[in-house]
Parts: sequence; C-alpha cells; structure tokens
Amino acid sequence: MTKSGLRRWTAYAARRLGSTLLMLAGVAVVIFVVTRMLGTPVYLLVGQQASEEVIAATIRQLGLDRPIPHQFVTWIGGLVQGDLGTSRHTFNPVTTDLALRLPATIELVMAALAIAVFVGVGLGVAAARRPDGAVDRFSHVLTQLGASMPNFWVGLVLVYLFAYAARIFPAPIGRLGPGIQPPTRRTGMTTVDSVLSGNFEALASALHYLALPATALSLLAIPAILQITRGTFIEVLASDYIRTAHAAGLSTSRIYGVYALRNAVVPMLTTLAMSFGFLISGTVLIEVVFAWPGIGLYAVNAMNAFDYEPIMAVVLLGAIFYALAYLLADLAAFVIDPRIREGAQT
Amino acid sequence: MTTPVDPTIRVASNEPDPPVGLGRRLRSAIVSVPGFFLGALLLVSLLAPLIATHDPLTPNPLAKLLPPSSEHIFGTDPFGFDVFSRTIYAGRLDLTVALGSVLLGAAIGVPVGVAAGYLGGTVDSVLMRLTEVIQAFPPILFAMLVFAGAGNNVATLIGIIAFFNVPVYVRMVRAVIQPIRDASYVRAARAMGHGHMSLIWKHLLPNSLVPVFAQFAVSSGFAIQMVAGLSFLGLGVEFPRPEWGSMISAGANQIVFGQWWPSIFPGIAVFLAALTLNALGQRLRKAVLVGGPR
Repeated sequence: MTKSGLRRWTAYAARRLGSTLLMLAGVAVVIFVVTRMLGTPVYLLVGQQASEEVIAATIRQLGLDRPIPHQFVTWIGGLVQGDLGTSRHTFNPVTTDLALRLPATIELVMAALAIAVFVGVGLGVAAARRPDGAVDRFSHVLTQLGASMPNFWVGLVLVYLFAYAARIFPAPIGRLGPGIQPPTRRTGMTTVDSVLSGNFEALASALHYLALPATALSLLAIPAILQITRGTFIEVLASDYIRTAHAAGLSTSRIYGVYALRNAVVPMLTTLAMSFGFLISGTVLIEVVFAWPGIGLYAVNAMNAFDYEPIMAVVLLGAIFYALAYLLADLAAFVIDPRIREGAQT
Repeated sequence: MTTPVDPTIRVASNEPDPPVGLGRRLRSAIVSVPGFFLGALLLVSLLAPLIATHDPLTPNPLAKLLPPSSEHIFGTDPFGFDVFSRTIYAGRLDLTVALGSVLLGAAIGVPVGVAAGYLGGTVDSVLMRLTEVIQAFPPILFAMLVFAGAGNNVATLIGIIAFFNVPVYVRMVRAVIQPIRDASYVRAARAMGHGHMSLIWKHLLPNSLVPVFAQFAVSSGFAIQMVAGLSFLGLGVEFPRPEWGSMISAGANQIVFGQWWPSIFPGIAVFLAALTLNALGQRLRKAVLVGGPR
C-alpha cells in the first residue's frame, strides 16, 4: 500500500472501529435492560418462596436498590475491567470459567468453518463452471437440506449412523477418549495442543471426537458459503477480463486460482464473517448434543442452575466475536479491493 | 455476426418464463408443490384429533421405548408416549408459534421500516444502527437470557423469535420506500395536498407489502427451526405438551443405544416443515422480484 493508501486505511479502520464499539455498547445496554427489567433476578437466586427479609437482603447485596443508571455504570465499569460476575453453579469468577471453556468452542467452530469453506467453495466453484450441470443440481439439493434441517438433529442422526450403527466414531461425550493422556495445556484446543506437544495418540483421538460435531455444525454455514461462491463466480467468469485471459491462452487453473478468485474473495469474506456469527450461536445446540465442554454448554448448564451472569457473559462474548469478525472482514476487503478503497474515500 | 448476449441473462432464461402480472405470478408460486405441502401440513395439524392413534398426553408406562410397529407407527418414547400422535399434534403449536412470531415481527418491522425510509436522515441512521445491534446478538444465547428473566412460556418464545425477525422487515420496507419517496407520482400526490399519513398509506405502503408478504414463508422457516432449537434446550414449552424440539430432546439420550425413533421422527417433521416453507419462500421471492435484481 502507498503512504496515502495507508492513511486512508487508517482513517477507515478508525471509523469502522468506532461504529463497532458503538454497536457493542448498544448490545451491552440491551443485555442490561433485558436482565434488569424483564424480571427480578432475585427470585432466581433465592427461590420464589423466600421470605421478605431474605429478598430485601439479597437486593441490597446485589446493589439492586440503587438507581438504574447507577447500576448500569457499576456493571459497565466491571465489564471493562474484565469482571463479569461470579458463577453461582461453579463458584468461579465467570472470566475464569470462560477462559477454561472458550478454546473448546473456538476449536469446534473453526473446524466446522474449515469444513464449510472446503465443501462450500469447492462445490460453489464447480457449480459455477456449469450452471444447471450435475454438480450444480447436487449443490442445490445440499443447500436446501442444509438450510432446512435442524443441525442439532443432524448431529443426533450422525451419532446414530456413525457412533451406534457403524461404530466408526466415538459416542458423543467430550473431546478425548477414556485412557488417553491429555496433551499439556497451551492453547486449550486439544488438537493444537496435541501437535505442539507431539502427542499424536491424543491428536488422533481428538480429531476422532471432533469429526461428528464439526460436520453437524458445518451444515449451518455451507448453504450461504456455497451460494455466494456460486453467484460470485458465475458473475466473475462471465466478465470481459476472464474472456480476455482465456483468449490470451492462460491456463484454466491460473484463471480460476488467481484472477477469478481474487475478484470473488471480497463477497466471500463478508459471508465468512456472517457464517462465523451463525456458528457461534448454533454451536450451543451442538455442544449440548455432543457434551462438548465449550461456552455454549456452560451457558446451558448455568441456565438450568438459574445462574444468569454466565449467560450474560456468553451472550456478550458471542456479540463481540460477531462484531470482530465483521470488522476484520471489512478491513481486509478494504486492503484487497481497490474499488472499496476508492469508494470509501468519498 | 451474432448479437452479443449477456451471459447472466442466459443463465436466468434457462427457467421457463413466469406468467406476466404480479397477481398471476404470486398465484402460480402458491399453487405449487411446496404450496400443496404447506396445505397438507396445516390440514394434518388441524385434523390431528382425527389422525392421531393415541392420546398425545397420556403415556403408557408399560410401553416405553417400543420400536415402530403396527400399534405404534413411530414407536414410543422413554416415557411411554406414542411418538406418531405427538408428532401430529406438535404441528399445531410449532406452526402457531412460527406464524405468530412472523406476524408480530412484521407488525413491528413494517412501521419502523416506513419511518426509516420515509423520514431518512438522523431517524434513519439511528434505526439502522438499532437493527445492527439486534443482528449482532447470537439468537439462541440471547433467548436463554430473556427466558431467564421473563419466564418460560410460549408468549416469550413468540416474542423472542419476532425480535429477531424485526430487522429483516425494517430493512426490506426501507429498501422499497427509500427510492420511491421522491418519485414523481409521490411528489405529485404531495403537491396535491396529501398529508404524510395518506401518502404513506395509499402510495408507499402498498409497494412495500408485496416483498413483505413474500418474506413470510422464509421467516416462518427460520422460526420453525428456532422454536425447535429453543425447546430442545427446554425453553418455551413445558414438557408433556407435544412440540417437535422437546420431543427430539426427550429421545436424545437414547440415540447412542440405537433407539432412534423418539428423536428422528419429530426431527423429520421439523425438516419437512422448514423445507416446505423455504421452498415456498423462494418461489414467492422469485415471483416478486421478476424484472428486478435477482
């Protein structure tokens, strides 16, 4: 990038960062309003039959007797310092609990996203080469199925087929087989830690346990990625510069791999960010089906224990991930695509 | 020399030309295979008492986890409920919640979209930022939070799904109204002394309601899946009440033991309902958008 280009990028990045922070502030306000206004968390803590004194004491202890704006400032203040409250079912600070469980969710979501990109982009490009051909028709069916099947149910179907009937994959309990020495914890992602510590027995087991939930989850992201890839490639392949490249005698793989891909990558980045958001939300159900110890299962356990601060934290975390994914996609698009660079200037 | 053909048009024209006229296009989209399936789905739910073979709320403790047979077509679940009868009855609740949440979402989203598109300026930017905030929430996690505060009932379920439908309708209506706000016929009407309300009511709203109507089916497909997902977690529906998601949940622990029927059959019902609504939605959208951007 040139010097002036870098300056423009910095200005754009600052503006996008500002609007992202504004959005997250809005998210924080909604979370606060929902938890404080819809019901009284006190009853969740002390039970419906608690005596007046116990309720009053709890309200004082939680600071719920202070004015609402005061409560909000206290809450946001804690939030900014990384204080998300204390879980009432694990007795740990929520931040500690999240740090322990987040890597498992990231591992699952990233694996699902990788499968979705591999399948979605592969089929999308193949379908775009011959619209209405066999691959295109197959992709269409896959898109319809992916968009209509509840993915937690697909998870159960996979468990029946591959864990019970074929016995290729383990029963849906956690991330490592019994009796397998877990790798030294570095990132918290079992597969990565296994590679880092050279524990290949654990790696094989971890991949084995990851395969079914990641496949079930990936179905949530495949339709969007497939459709956007197909649409973009049909458009790009029909353009004049691709025809010129063909006429100039460039190899098909070069045309697809370099020229077409570079022009298709920007809409695909946005779709990728969107898919990431889908997966962060969809992973809750998959984590329940596969007893996968991530933040989704943590939130569900908290809910069943009437413990609302972990749920608040997980909702906030999900929104932050979503916002960051979009921010990164936009910033990358700005660097890649000169049309956006010029457009953003005006 | 042949005339150059735009390849994107060639791709589109592989499909048969739809009949002209919006009304006829919409009719042909509704009178179709997905339209027929939706009718069948509604009919089965409506006639559930006639179709069901057992009482959906009375378990038989002596008939737990029986595989599908002539007595129990879809088998029985871990409590001894007849899976077939419950699957049939569940359609009533699932379809009602889906429809209710979509209508509520549109009822809020359409006026907000009109305001954003018609007023423009600061109102528009504030409303757009708000829809972005809603879209940033992970739906299922956010729903868990709301249920924790507002109580576990069907009204909350409808409210939450409607909440996530609102941005869709806001954006849709705004996109229709914004470009025609200053169209010559609207300016002419304004010059003739029409007030804002009558202008919106007579000229702007009718234009925007067609895509809104087409969106109903797609939103219902999303709603069906949300209902199933949330009730799978035990949210929104009290257990013995027949509902697809909670039925899947009731059988989920049996899958690893090979007893697939309590979970698989209600899941197929969710899948068929969502597939029907999505396919119908695509047809409706195509009927509305002919001539416009694809």
